[in-house]
Amino acid sequence: MSSPSRSGCRRRRELLAAVLLAAALSACQREDRRFRTWPPAASAIPAVRQSELQPGPTTRDLTVRNEYGDNAWAVSEGKRLYNQFNCSGCHFQGGGGIGPPLMDSQWIYGSQPENIFATIVEGRPNGMPSFRGKLGNDQVWKLVAYVRSMSGLLAKDVASGRNDDMQVRSQEQSTEKARPVQSAVPPASQRP
Amino acid sequence: MSAVLQAVLQFPGAHSALKPAGPQARIAEGLWNSMYATAIVVFLLVMAALLWAAFRRRRAEEPAPDPARERRMRRVVAAAVGITTIVLFTFLVSDISAGRAVTATPGKDAIQIIVTGHQWWWEVQYRDSVPQRWVTTANEIHVPVGRQVAVELRSTDVIHSFWPPNLTGKRDLIPGNENSLWFQADSAGVYRAECAEYCGHEHAKMALLVVAQSPDSFARWLTQQRDTAHTPADSLTSRGQEVFLSSACAMCHSIAGTPAGSRVGPDLTHLAGRATIAAGTLPNTRGNLAGWIVDPQRIKPGARMPPNQLDPADLRALLAYLETLR
Amino acid sequence: MAKTSLVVGFVALTVACSGGHESRATPPAARVTTSAAAPAGALGTAARAASLAPDSGSAQWIIPAKNYASTRYSGLGQITAANVSRLGLAWTFSTGVSRGHEAAPLVVGSTMYVVTPFPNILYALDLSKPGAPLKWEYQPNPSTASQGVACCDVVNRGAVYYDGKIIYNTLDANTVAVDARTGKQVWRTRVGDINRGESVTMAPLVVKGKVLVGNSGGEFGIRGWLTALDAGTGKLAWRAYTTGPDTDVLIGPRFKPFYPLDQGKDLGVSSWPGDAWQYGGGGVWGWISYDPELNLIYYGTSNPGPWNPDVRPGDNKWTAGVFARDPDTGEAVWAYQWNPHDVYDHDGINELLLLDLPINGATRKVLVAPERNGYVYVLDRATGEVLSADPFGYITTSRGVDLKSGRPIMVPEKAPRTGQVVREICPAAPGVKDWQPSSWSPRTGLLYIPHQNLCQDEEGTEANYIAGTPYVAAIVKMYAGPGGYRGEMTAWDPVARKIVWNVHERFPVWSGTVVTEGDVVFYGTMDGWFKALDARSGKELWRFKTGSGIIGQPVTYLGPDGKQYVAVLAGVGGWAGAVVAGGLDTRDSSAALGFVNAMKDLPAATTKGGTLYVFALP
Repeated sequence: MSSPSRSGCRRRRELLAAVLLAAALSACQREDRRFRTWPPAASAIPAVRQSELQPGPTTRDLTVRNEYGDNAWAVSEGKRLYNQFNCSGCHFQGGGGIGPPLMDSQWIYGSQPENIFATIVEGRPNGMPSFRGKLGNDQVWKLVAYVRSMSGLLAKDVASGRNDDMQVRSQEQSTEKARPVQSAVPPASQRP
Repeated sequence: MSAVLQAVLQFPGAHSALKPAGPQARIAEGLWNSMYATAIVVFLLVMAALLWAAFRRRRAEEPAPDPARERRMRRVVAAAVGITTIVLFTFLVSDISAGRAVTATPGKDAIQIIVTGHQWWWEVQYRDSVPQRWVTTANEIHVPVGRQVAVELRSTDVIHSFWPPNLTGKRDLIPGNENSLWFQADSAGVYRAECAEYCGHEHAKMALLVVAQSPDSFARWLTQQRDTAHTPADSLTSRGQEVFLSSACAMCHSIAGTPAGSRVGPDLTHLAGRATIAAGTLPNTRGNLAGWIVDPQRIKPGARMPPNQLDPADLRALLAYLETLR
Repeated sequence: MAKTSLVVGFVALTVACSGGHESRATPPAARVTTSAAAPAGALGTAARAASLAPDSGSAQWIIPAKNYASTRYSGLGQITAANVSRLGLAWTFSTGVSRGHEAAPLVVGSTMYVVTPFPNILYALDLSKPGAPLKWEYQPNPSTASQGVACCDVVNRGAVYYDGKIIYNTLDANTVAVDARTGKQVWRTRVGDINRGESVTMAPLVVKGKVLVGNSGGEFGIRGWLTALDAGTGKLAWRAYTTGPDTDVLIGPRFKPFYPLDQGKDLGVSSWPGDAWQYGGGGVWGWISYDPELNLIYYGTSNPGPWNPDVRPGDNKWTAGVFARDPDTGEAVWAYQWNPHDVYDHDGINELLLLDLPINGATRKVLVAPERNGYVYVLDRATGEVLSADPFGYITTSRGVDLKSGRPIMVPEKAPRTGQVVREICPAAPGVKDWQPSSWSPRTGLLYIPHQNLCQDEEGTEANYIAGTPYVAAIVKMYAGPGGYRGEMTAWDPVARKIVWNVHERFPVWSGTVVTEGDVVFYGTMDGWFKALDARSGKELWRFKTGSGIIGQPVTYLGPDGKQYVAVLAGVGGWAGAVVAGGLDTRDSSAALGFVNAMKDLPAATTKGGTLYVFALP
């Protein structure tokens, strides 16, 4: 028979092991690389409200989770796509130029993943091109994740670290979270 | 395992440093052969000495130390050390001289090409004094037999390494730096080159074919590569072009003669003339191409090509169009 | 052509002024004044403007460059160096638009016309009434999506008056002609396609009944062109591409470039790899000049695309250069590249002043061009020969211009390339001088150049041409050049080939200039000061603080009351002011093609908002 203190000790050890295991597993997920999302339309395009005002009692819409919001690899892929598809040609590394800044708190068309998804796919009237049919949904979701990381809206452990290129801004990892301020379109859903 | 074997067998292309097809590979092979022969002789001598020592009849009792014998033994050991030093030094000299010969500056009339490593494919450009005559292709280097080919090595992402074992040794492609090597193919044939520096998931599926051909057929090939893509002649292929330009394809690939000018993926202006797709992963057949377009992640997980959901009729049209890109 | 002296023209117009104002609204094309108008004894030199046509006299301002020779010199002398300090505000007008106002207001008869940045509203203001009330406004309603293909703010550089019409371009690549009296649209022609990255920001020029219009979009992989439209109907007369085969560039038997390297067949194709010329830039978004005697128009072409030069080996003809063409047919007569294979975004679109200068004892018909690459070029405008090219700013990218070959001597270590950071590239991408036009006074013989002092670090990146999206492929970070100041106003003597005086400014001087017979030079600063300098000494004589930074082109005119007025649009923006106009985030040094890094303190110095300011002596 083990003494109570001993069993407590063992319990503590078990707890520690569980915590370590959980930490290890969560780290796995952070780096999880899912190459085949098939069919690519699995993540359907959500319908996004363009106005906060609804006739009749307000209904809460179903929201879509961006599977990539907690995945460091997908965010880095998003960053690569952001530069390759010339997003950086207008928004640069977040400071904006031809298009508005993406690293600040201002979100003209909403800050939630589905808002950003809609902005990329549908385009926006003041110069944002519509990428419908030009990008796979999978690629758009990766871009959405990266765009959110630019203003610190993703956890630090999934946001990108230092670039290999010329340093023009602080890394996404250390970008302070900018509380989204909405200016034209409401966020698609009110999540904490 | 059988799949791997099958994949290897399917491909043309010699891939062995022991079957040299060019002067540099021959130097390397000569060096290897001389070391190999020397090593065999040394091995046999050592083994013989070992066996002699092992099976030598043991004397009943150790004789008293004989100074003359001791001196003799010392001389034998000194001689063995001396011979070893000479052999190693000879290796060193021949190694350095082989290295010098392999990295010598190529001649002025060498063909100038730029090979750029991407995750996970090779971009190949042929320089010319007239910019209009530059040629861009991918995953295949055509060279004329008997002429030096000077290769400038670049990378846009991570470090890769260019290694055509039948022709020359490996050399790294380093982002932000220019590296170079040259080689020459002495006999016509198809030689397989690999990425020899681990560069991510699909490092293993990043091959490139070096096609050595007669100067005449090389010149023909180069001239043909300078053409821009022809305007589709029939309704099916023109539909295919429309599919290409209006879908995700044009976001990454370029086809000279069309508004598609992106360089994320390989230039497809002469896709149908290439032997393989996906950087030496699959033979370039209609079926493979279809499978690759629809679900590349099954063939090469992690590749940068996204899956494409196309209407079957559109896919057929697209394939028909791609097959016209000779 | 009647050789009316400028003074006579001025008197005639002043007389007309006291008559009916409306009668002057159908003016000037007919009243062409070829002028030897340098007032006697100016400098004792033979320096003069080539031709002041279509200058209808000093009272009006009917094209942004003032005259075909692009001197921006006004023969009005009421405001002088002696009395300018008493200059005061006469009236103002809010444009209601908050982006960068680069346009020059026009004055035709007793009406002033103002074009705003996108949405390109045209206002007509009645100068004959107190406070110049609005007569009418015209809304062209350009496509809002066109804002997405304007590289450097949604600016517009002004309108022209011709034959009873105000003609100008909208951002979405339409040219419109509006009845100057009623504000009703006469014709509208779509000249370009925003889905190919084309926009139009330049002020057109009308020469012999043809409206000359060029496209913008050197950062969007356009294929540059200059187009002539019939001024009466808006129908296309000819289009001359900057790149491509000779038939497209309108190169024919009359084409005689001066330098051997510019001679050859289809150089607009052979100097590019593959079909890169199809999206190689070379837009025509700057200024056009015209010499009626030689019957040649002159204009510059923009940078080749993308900025990263690795993907476009060769001279990339005919980008970053200058063309002389016959305005009737568009045929090229000569061409010259300021920057063959430009690697720094050094567009060649700056104003080209057509002057007759004494050079080595003989009066030569020259074209003077203060270029982005940092040299003031003097070219023989009949042949395209470079007579001289002298630096007027700090340059590390080249070591001069080889007059034998006509090519700049480049410094190879400073050339940007993929994956490597090259530092201290001077001048930066906007060059020692960008679009902001200089002026030239026949009285002083000096060229008044508004410009900047910027350097940059640059790294080339992967270039992917996707139609309708930017095609730049470079990460850039600009900063102040040696000395720490970012703007300069330089008076340059094109005969002695040296700086006469020079004033430093905190921010780039992104506004135009005007110089008057009263020997006063006007210009504005990006922190909102409108200034008058003594044209001879550079001494500041007067300044006025406007509501927003100034990047517009000042003009001066004679009001219906016989008084001289000076007008300028304030409203910060443009490439240099995008940080304010676009509300950009200064934490990203590469924002707005790297210009934001050099302008981090601008938001604290000015806010946005377009207002017209008009000044007069009490």
